[in-house]
Amino acid sequence: MIMALQEVGRCLRFVAEALDVGRRKGVSGREVMTQIWKVTAQSLGTTALAGFFVGAIMAVQFALQVKAYGALGYLGGLATSGTVRQVGPLLIAFMLSGKVGAFTSAELGTMRVTEQIDAIRCLGSNPFREIILPRMIAIFVASFALLAAGLLASIGGGILLASLFAGINPDEYVRHIPTLVAPASVAIGLFKCAVFALILASICTFKGYTTTGGAKGVGRSVVQTAVATMVSIVIADWLTSVIAEAVIEVAMAARGEG
Amino acid sequence: MSVASWDIEFDGLIKRFGERTILNGISFRVARGEIIFILGTSGTGKSVLLKTLTGLLRADAGRVLVQGQDLTYLQEEAYLDVRRKCGMVFQHPALFDSLTIEENIAFGLQRHLGLSLEAARPRVRECLDLVHLDYDELAELLPAQISYGMQKRVSLARTLAVQPQILLFDEPTTGLDPVTTKQINRLILELSRKLQTTSMVVSHDMDCALEIADRIIVLDQGRIIEQGRVDEVKKSPVPLVQDFLAEALAGHAETTSSDSGGGRP
Repeated sequence: MIMALQEVGRCLRFVAEALDVGRRKGVSGREVMTQIWKVTAQSLGTTALAGFFVGAIMAVQFALQVKAYGALGYLGGLATSGTVRQVGPLLIAFMLSGKVGAFTSAELGTMRVTEQIDAIRCLGSNPFREIILPRMIAIFVASFALLAAGLLASIGGGILLASLFAGINPDEYVRHIPTLVAPASVAIGLFKCAVFALILASICTFKGYTTTGGAKGVGRSVVQTAVATMVSIVIADWLTSVIAEAVIEVAMAARGEG
Repeated sequence: MSVASWDIEFDGLIKRFGERTILNGISFRVARGEIIFILGTSGTGKSVLLKTLTGLLRADAGRVLVQGQDLTYLQEEAYLDVRRKCGMVFQHPALFDSLTIEENIAFGLQRHLGLSLEAARPRVRECLDLVHLDYDELAELLPAQISYGMQKRVSLARTLAVQPQILLFDEPTTGLDPVTTKQINRLILELSRKLQTTSMVVSHDMDCALEIADRIIVLDQGRIIEQGRVDEVKKSPVPLVQDFLAEALAGHAETTSSDSGGGRP
């Protein structure tokens, strides 16, 4: 437990240093764009595919329940609301953790053990500016793009399954989405997505950057990245849900008083 | 010799990793233009010694001076000048995979001197010439598209680009075949003389030491156990030095017998 807390402390110090370097030295816009492109291109297909099936699963699950109440028309709205608020951000975070997190950790770990990071310092630059910050920013920005792609795909999956198994046509499926997907749900989804992306970006760059011990060390870093990000994201999911509910409650109470 | 003519000075250097003392009171000086060879078995702290010169690692005690400048309390930012003076050639080629050969060599020029890639181009060409590689053939290639020996030479060209006065070589011939090893050794010698740089070479290759060194320092368990000019070290009674010499002689004998063996059946 103490060791885990020490590791969290080291990771936070690493992030603080990265932000400090970014504030003092800026970051290469070209490298950020390259990394955003890489992250998005790497994960778009898998995220969309997973999103499609999540939408399909949500549609099937909700269909059984709303059918009993004769409210099949609300299926699209309910399934999409659940995806936007809860499943979507979590799914994107897990997808990114498996693909981008592991890749980034391995890439930086290899750069560390093959002395490329030392070479950056010796050649007059700062590794945080050159390789860490661009990757952190890219993971953060790409998460939102991938969330949008995943959600669109999930609506597609929902429409297909709803029409195949419940006989609901696409127009009917999407009709109640604007009504049932409240702005609060979208805000919660975006908030979760941001928190998960920050966690992922911090852990995978930290683990990669601090790799020691050759090829074996790189492997160890990748595994540690996968475990640490998954556990942290699940904990953060619970925490962000609690915070979001509390904020909504306070906002509603304030509106009631007003 | 006057103080100003020492390019590198170690004074009671101590470096620990946790409970383990890697360097234990290392003291020696390197004169301007000298090629000094640090010899030792794996894990004796040879590479650590080089890294304390460029601030990649900090000494726990003792002093490190480069051209009279004490690096003991230097902040990271202040190391920029030192790193320009001391060019380091790493054990791995350490080329950046996503950059072309030209971009790799221009990297230091862009960061240290603020040059654009276009402005850096003539110097890139010049540096590739220095290591006997052809600009037109290699400039647009990625590191993965050239051989390991070529990568080592490109790495040396990248270090030379910012015109360092001191060259630090960390195991320059590790992982190379005997022919490429000889080429790299000759290149180190040639460049040190031609560019009048001070060179510090870290290796466990006695053969290489005998070929290029002005002076040899032998490390064992974090301490200096022998030092002197090549002819002096050759006569050393220290068992480890004897082992290194025997190994070098055996290597020579092997090379000679294979050279005269008439080739493959």
